[in-house]
Amino acid sequence: MSRTSRTARSMLAGAKEVSPIMVGIIPFGLVAGAAVISAGFGLAEVIGMSLLVNAGASQIAATALFAEGAPLLLVVGTALVINARLFIYSTSIAPLLVPRVGWSRLLLGHPLVDQSYAITMTRGRYRDDVDIVPYYVGSWLLLAVTWQVSNVIGALGGALVPSSWSLDFAVPLVFLAMLVPALKCRADVEAAVATAVAAAILVPLMPMQTGLIVAIVIGISWGAARYRERTSEEPAR
Amino acid sequence: MNDTVAFWVVVISLAAGTFLLRSIPLWLHGHGPAPRWLKRLLRHVPAAALTALVIPGSLYVKANGSYDFAPARTAAAVAALLVAVRTRNVLATLATGMAVLWTVQALITVMG
Repeated sequence: MSRTSRTARSMLAGAKEVSPIMVGIIPFGLVAGAAVISAGFGLAEVIGMSLLVNAGASQIAATALFAEGAPLLLVVGTALVINARLFIYSTSIAPLLVPRVGWSRLLLGHPLVDQSYAITMTRGRYRDDVDIVPYYVGSWLLLAVTWQVSNVIGALGGALVPSSWSLDFAVPLVFLAMLVPALKCRADVEAAVATAVAAAILVPLMPMQTGLIVAIVIGISWGAARYRERTSEEPAR
Repeated sequence: MNDTVAFWVVVISLAAGTFLLRSIPLWLHGHGPAPRWLKRLLRHVPAAALTALVIPGSLYVKANGSYDFAPARTAAAVAALLVAVRTRNVLATLATGMAVLWTVQALITVMG
């Protein structure tokens, strides 16, 4: 079998295996596209943001904070905190990808999203019949096209919905749907509760959405402290 | 700075920062493992960050710069949370939340 056809086959395999979880990103894409329009921008901003940022949760958060009039540094800072998980993904997928590529490792970070990471780590790496790098890129290509199309549909459709439908409420609901699978251990749940209490009190009290980032820091610290408590049951060093 | 320029500043800074977060571990692979304190700090980021984005919009509506408690939204968010925990289904979560919000809002209008 020629090299090209193996690469193409691997990309197709990645796209095929990611397609069941791809369906899950469509509602997020609709909300993300509609949010940019309701913040007062157009299709250029919708498409540009999705192509360049390529990370849905942070796009929705940045757009919502921007629309609330938060300072730009806070908008970008909060969105980057949400994307800090990509750093963890990158650390764990690196041993799989890096030994198989040359200079292209410079660009291989961009296709890293929740779903391309998940499918490559749980399926692709165990297949002998595919090359892992094109598999990973192929899974992302399908996700990126789906994301872009659902953004545009959300942008076109969202503009038609009257504001009395309170569609802005879809934004916290979307984050709620992402939150539940992110609660993987007891310390995660405690971090979430600490953040919730802090956010409920601090966001109305502190100016310009700064309460949000303070609440996140409190939650992360609580989680890290509690996690350490458990691991300290190991023999002392 | 007008709003469009400001928005593109956000898009480009966020894109650059996110690209670095995704790429740095790939670039540095082979130069030793990531520090343990960093991994510990990052472990609970998704739980905390996503919660912070759920809470204000679920408890309050913003009117003229002040936050007013919004019982309809809170009830809808609690219902959506229960559905999310049970089903892990994004569409079901969205549909439940919106349906409860509209129902409670309609009830408040009728009774008020």
